[in-house]
Amino acid sequence: MTTAFRDDVRTLLEEDSVRSTVADIAAYPPGTEVALLDVYRRLGERGWLAPGWPVEYGGLGLGAVENAIVTEELTRAGIPDDVHVLCVDLVGMFLLHAGTAEQKARHLPALARGERLATVLFSEPEAGSDLAALRTTARRDGTGWRLRGSKIYNLKSQYGDFALCAARTTDSPVAMHGITLFLLPLRAPGVHIEPVPGMANDRFNLVVIDDVRLDDADVVGEPDNGWQLLNDMLQLERTGIDFHAKARRLLDQTIDRAAEQGLLDDPEWAGRLAELDATLRAGHALAWEQVNALAGGHPDPVTSAMAKWYTSEQIRPILNAGTELAGLGAALSAWDGTTDDDGTWEAALRMGPSHRLASGTSEVMLFLIATNGLGLL
Amino acid sequence: MTTTFPATGTGLRDRCAELFCADLAPMLRRLGARDKGAGARAVLHPDDAATREGVWAALADLGAFGDQRQRDLVDLAELAGWALYQSPLTDSWFAAELLTATGDPAYAPILRDLAGGATALAVAMRERPGDEPTEPGPLHRHEHGTVDAIRSVVAFAPDAGHLLLVGTDGGRTLLAVVPATGPGVTLRRHDDIARGDLYTVTVTHGEVVGAVHDITDQYAAALARARLRHAAYLAGSARGAIEVAAQRLRERTAFGQPLARMQALAYRFAALAARTAAVLSSVRAGALAADEGADVRLTGAQVLLLAGVLAQEAAAECVHVHGAHGMTEAGDAQLFYRRAVVDAAWLGRTPSLRREAGRLLAHSRIPPR
Repeated sequence: MTTAFRDDVRTLLEEDSVRSTVADIAAYPPGTEVALLDVYRRLGERGWLAPGWPVEYGGLGLGAVENAIVTEELTRAGIPDDVHVLCVDLVGMFLLHAGTAEQKARHLPALARGERLATVLFSEPEAGSDLAALRTTARRDGTGWRLRGSKIYNLKSQYGDFALCAARTTDSPVAMHGITLFLLPLRAPGVHIEPVPGMANDRFNLVVIDDVRLDDADVVGEPDNGWQLLNDMLQLERTGIDFHAKARRLLDQTIDRAAEQGLLDDPEWAGRLAELDATLRAGHALAWEQVNALAGGHPDPVTSAMAKWYTSEQIRPILNAGTELAGLGAALSAWDGTTDDDGTWEAALRMGPSHRLASGTSEVMLFLIATNGLGLL
Repeated sequence: MTTTFPATGTGLRDRCAELFCADLAPMLRRLGARDKGAGARAVLHPDDAATREGVWAALADLGAFGDQRQRDLVDLAELAGWALYQSPLTDSWFAAELLTATGDPAYAPILRDLAGGATALAVAMRERPGDEPTEPGPLHRHEHGTVDAIRSVVAFAPDAGHLLLVGTDGGRTLLAVVPATGPGVTLRRHDDIARGDLYTVTVTHGEVVGAVHDITDQYAAALARARLRHAAYLAGSARGAIEVAAQRLRERTAFGQPLARMQALAYRFAALAARTAAVLSSVRAGALAADEGADVRLTGAQVLLLAGVLAQEAAAECVHVHGAHGMTEAGDAQLFYRRAVVDAAWLGRTPSLRREAGRLLAHSRIPPR
């Protein structure tokens, strides 16, 4: 069943029109980035964008395994999966598990069809990994709430329809208490979105929330219980599948380049690449054990932190090896117009640091392992 | 506290969990340990000998030597490694696989005795300690059916009913089985850092059980599966070392607080724990592939490469966080450290494994379009 599903997804992603989209993306001019691609809609109309969701919400009623397959196949095909991760793996998953029936009915089908884009507004200028330090507030206003604050380093908000936004609803001596999650319309009056210049292709945004009124119907989960919800849900995201898929694509490119240069006959290079391949295989096996644990209904927060840490740590040594092979060719961008890889390696280098930061930094993962797994700290 | 690692819970593992448990592990770790510098004449303490026999019989009763899947065997190997149980277990599995691959009915009684726990087996491959198992030493055949060979660092040779001499002759890989106590076989104990059971075996006109077999076509595959199991043992020992270290960090106070509160130390072991989990996952995936008949030569070399480095690093860090106390015989940290030297190189040294994996990776990949 899962093999057939993977074959079906792969067949679609190997169609000429999709390959053409991938080539177009590589040639996007500076400042242009991927939003809702047509390929998402094509996956969505088959129920393949969120296959683990119930049929009534646009999925196929399958499970975590099929979700992971879509993630792997998108990355294998070279299709940026950030929108998929944001819409399906993060916001959609939060709504699926903690949303009201009305929230699910209103948002999930459109997300599953690839017709609506949702983002997350968690990080703030003074609250990154330490989310309990967030300063965005939501104060009671009659039967609703008024939100004020700033969110930063979020992706795709300039294209998004709505965002899952964390705000403090109750001041508490226990910082983790009193955080609530809201669905914030990104086109509402009072929401201002500005670019934050950065080195990656996808732009960071600063979202200023200036006295935006929301209703109780916009609250996800219970008021003041957002911290618990965030911990529970982010754990589900951390299988490591997406990080491994990206690392695998980069290593395969590196091995191809080594082969072209005849370096697979060099024992030193072949051995180095084989060792990197070994770590990726190990990461892949660990990530899939997390997916299967999710599918079986018994995810483990410690091993999922291990999987996220291990898979995201692989990308740096792979980038180092590939850059050594390419020499200064690795430094030339797509806009130079003379590269033999459409500048994908240069773009990957600029994106490199993000993997150890996203979805919880490496240090947060080590903290979770040390505390909950080893009884330390 | 037991470190959280991915749940597995196969039948054989579950059955053997009572044997390799936290209460018995400290005893198992020291079972058969000789004094430092005891030399060639060191003998096993009678109590240790009896306990060894008891554990071996228990393993047999639990089905460790039956017709098991690789997936089950790697789970058991991991448990044995966690307990740092030194035994002919993994070599006996390797030996049984080689014997079975020949199809020689003369080996049936040996395999039957092994399954019942009445014997153990030793695989003798290296002529010199620095040799690699991929390149067995020479095996000289006499016209009248006896063999000559010198093999060093053979594990548990006196415990084995038979020795499997793997060797080369005329560019072929051969297997000859000789009784460990048969005429023409002499054993000499090495004095090694693990203070365990490594022997030089000298076979002069040794009488062969059954025939001498050409195993050229089977040896690499059998070695690959043995490497999967040994990698599981090594990763298990890394897990054990991490747990011993974590216990020390929780108990030892320095600079006014438990060492466990120090982030630099905690993160170091968290990273080791994550690497251990990844290696174990890879071992399990490789074992499943092997059970499905896949070629696991590359996987075997790769997981052993990762596991060997990991086991040595975890053991060294375990000693380190114990301070000077870690170097004393009062604690178990030094056991992990000393044994990792032997175990990490047992089925291939790191540089050789890296080269071998590189060669296999180059051969296995589809040429670039």
